[in-house]
Amino acid sequence: MPGKTAGKTRAFSFLSSSFANRMRADDRLLLILMGIIVGICSGLAALALSKSLVALLEFTHHYRHIWWGFVLPGIGAALSSLFLNKVINEGAGHGVPEVIYSVSRYGGLLRFRSSYSRLISSCLTIGSGGSAGPEAPVVMSGAAIGSNIAKYFSFNDRQRITLVGCGAAGAISSIFNAPIAGMVFTIEVILGEWTALNIVPIAVASVAGAQVFRLLEGNHIVFRHAHFNIGLPDVLAAFGLAIVAALVSILLTRTMRTMPKIAAKVPLPVWLRAFTGGCMVGLIGFHLPVVMGEGYHSIQEMISGVFSQGLAIASFATLAKILATAFTLGWGGSGGIFAPSLVIGSLTGLTYHRLLIFVWPSAPWISEGCFALLGMAGLIGGMLQAPLTGIFLIVEITGGYDVILPLIIVSAMSATLCHYIEPASFYLKELVDKGQLLRPGTDARVLSDLNIHELLEKDCICVRPDTLLRDFIRVVSQSHRNFFPVEDPENGNFLGMIHLDDIRPYLFNTAMYDTVFLEQIMDARSETVHADADLGEVLRKMDEKRLFSMPVISNKKFAGMISKSTLLDHYRKELRVQTSR
Amino acid sequence: MEARLFHIFRNTPLGRETFLQSIYFCRKTGTSPVVYIPQHTKFLMYFENDVVQVDLDSSYLNAPETAKKHAADLLKQGGFDPVFLEPKNFTASTLPDIPTHFDFMCCPRSISDLSGKIGLGYIGPRVRRIVSSAHFPVLMTSPVYKPWKSITVFFGGSENAVKALRLGFRIHRSSGMPLYLFTQAEGKPGEKYEEIIRREKLEVDKNRYAADWHFFETGSLEDNLYEVPHDSLVILGSFGHGLIRDIMFGSTMEKIQSVISNNMLIAGPKYAAGI
Repeated sequence: MPGKTAGKTRAFSFLSSSFANRMRADDRLLLILMGIIVGICSGLAALALSKSLVALLEFTHHYRHIWWGFVLPGIGAALSSLFLNKVINEGAGHGVPEVIYSVSRYGGLLRFRSSYSRLISSCLTIGSGGSAGPEAPVVMSGAAIGSNIAKYFSFNDRQRITLVGCGAAGAISSIFNAPIAGMVFTIEVILGEWTALNIVPIAVASVAGAQVFRLLEGNHIVFRHAHFNIGLPDVLAAFGLAIVAALVSILLTRTMRTMPKIAAKVPLPVWLRAFTGGCMVGLIGFHLPVVMGEGYHSIQEMISGVFSQGLAIASFATLAKILATAFTLGWGGSGGIFAPSLVIGSLTGLTYHRLLIFVWPSAPWISEGCFALLGMAGLIGGMLQAPLTGIFLIVEITGGYDVILPLIIVSAMSATLCHYIEPASFYLKELVDKGQLLRPGTDARVLSDLNIHELLEKDCICVRPDTLLRDFIRVVSQSHRNFFPVEDPENGNFLGMIHLDDIRPYLFNTAMYDTVFLEQIMDARSETVHADADLGEVLRKMDEKRLFSMPVISNKKFAGMISKSTLLDHYRKELRVQTSR
Repeated sequence: MEARLFHIFRNTPLGRETFLQSIYFCRKTGTSPVVYIPQHTKFLMYFENDVVQVDLDSSYLNAPETAKKHAADLLKQGGFDPVFLEPKNFTASTLPDIPTHFDFMCCPRSISDLSGKIGLGYIGPRVRRIVSSAHFPVLMTSPVYKPWKSITVFFGGSENAVKALRLGFRIHRSSGMPLYLFTQAEGKPGEKYEEIIRREKLEVDKNRYAADWHFFETGSLEDNLYEVPHDSLVILGSFGHGLIRDIMFGSTMEKIQSVISNNMLIAGPKYAAGI
């Protein structure tokens, strides 16, 4: 019997080691399994925020109509700011750009605290009435969960980035019950690349996130609406709506960028600034309640066609919502722009519909709810410059393909028009301006993954300035390089370079061999680069000066040479690694 | 390329002590100091598989108008050209990313100005994270400037202790200071430790560089630490054992740092030692 048991144990250990080896050799299955776990965790985080928001909004709802109710968003924003800056000590931001930055520069490394900090802070901001969305915080949270799980299992950069994507996809698909939108959003906005290896785990995580929603909330569509019969005039009108949506997107983007600069000039502590911004939202919301909170309820009203206000109020509400969102997020509140974009989009669609009826009252226009839907797609497409996300999100959250044709037109056109006016989306603008958006396979990304230290050619022979030409020729005969750095014999500091061309005039005149010293012929003004220099800058300098190699200096001392050929060689290898995933 | 030590400058008398210690270390080991004068109370360090947020206390932002001059003066006195690190990348507007490609980093035992945390017996959580994630050794300075005249390597036979030994050889070669080995036998005979050194092909270096090997078979570690010269740079590996064992019995690094006030050079688990 013991022999049988030992045999079973051996067989089991053989199977398990064979399984482990297979998992190591091809990590697809491993990433799918981890993707399910990350998707479930981020889905739960998203639902936790969603439930908390509903509870807090219901609690504060009774106090909104009291005269002092306008301070509630201020209190929420101030608490949120204090929580982020004093309790958690997290450098605040909207979340999504931080995830994109981490993916593009640091292999998706995110702090553990980010997995819960934005959930709590955004709950305080939005739950008290601030105009912001919970989507960016849940994306941040899901991505941080994925990153920290990857860190725990010591995954490599590529695997970690995939799990970060899984977290983001799980969160979006859970909060909207929209698995395709979650997947597309992650690929289009967060990762910026479709590869065979990451698409499957992200899709599975998306399904896991949506399933969490369905298990706990039931399988219902987020925004229900009646069936829309789209006619040719509606399709044609969609072109006009795309232009309007693009303009509103630009207005929202620019207001969002200007507001923090204005707030920064106000000499108040950060939390007091957030309080001021929140109070401003409260004041606007006192007269126009549509601007308060994440606005899902208002969206439902607009899609259902029960939003009764006229053209002037609808357009005014659009501007007010833009202002309220800028006051909330620009002055220190916490949250994202996804949900406000949906509200502003539906208000834009509604305003556009009212305008069409005003101009062509007899035309057979479809109901205003359809235009609210199209407006949402236009704003998402314009703000995020992610047309596919806009299309799939609206299709999934409204549960129908009946508006798909105008939806594609509005989303694609709005994204394209916005791209002409603002080449980078709201999430990417800051990163692009700082040169920190490094998408895989791009020149900047390849160069950022290399550093001067690994490209250094250290086989140069250093010479002294007081070396005679005769001695130097002996050195040249032993070297296979054309460049020779000259160093100060006292302190080892770099003095200049000698190129073989520099000695050519003296080479055939042996009389000069014992009369010329290297300090007489060295190039003391040769172009150098610092060991910490950015490779992009090095390459630019080489191109400008038409150089093929340059000496690298560290603390005044020669560290080695960097050449274009070595750089290109490493560049090609790195590019192959990045594009063959 | 010459080695570089990263130092976060604190413009206070206590910060000066730490900085003088860094400068002394650089002078002795031929390392160049790279100084960061913080503009914000926090920064991120992205390591290979971890990101560490270092939360500084407000004393690091003390008197910014004189900080650069004070640091430059001290560097010049130490014979170094001032090199300051300016962060290029920011995760958020108030959250700079500090590069991690240094050869050494200087940390006080705690990145805190609270007197209760500066003394022995406490290593701040951020410093722990840096030690456990960094590929470079961390110089944990004594509370006041204390030039060291010798090197003591704690060799307990673990993988990290071997790294510490290699690091000790490296520091010995660059500084020329006498090198001592210190081993607290944990029920193992001396041959076991010699066997480990042989297996790691360090026997020749040990015979060449180590002036003496203090081998303690009796007494507790705390008692035997009295034998460590007060002016010796203590080099040891950290997190050499499992987490459970460290939680149950306490880590050796914790015990050592809570008893002696020497400067310590800690080689963490990610440190890639080279002779």
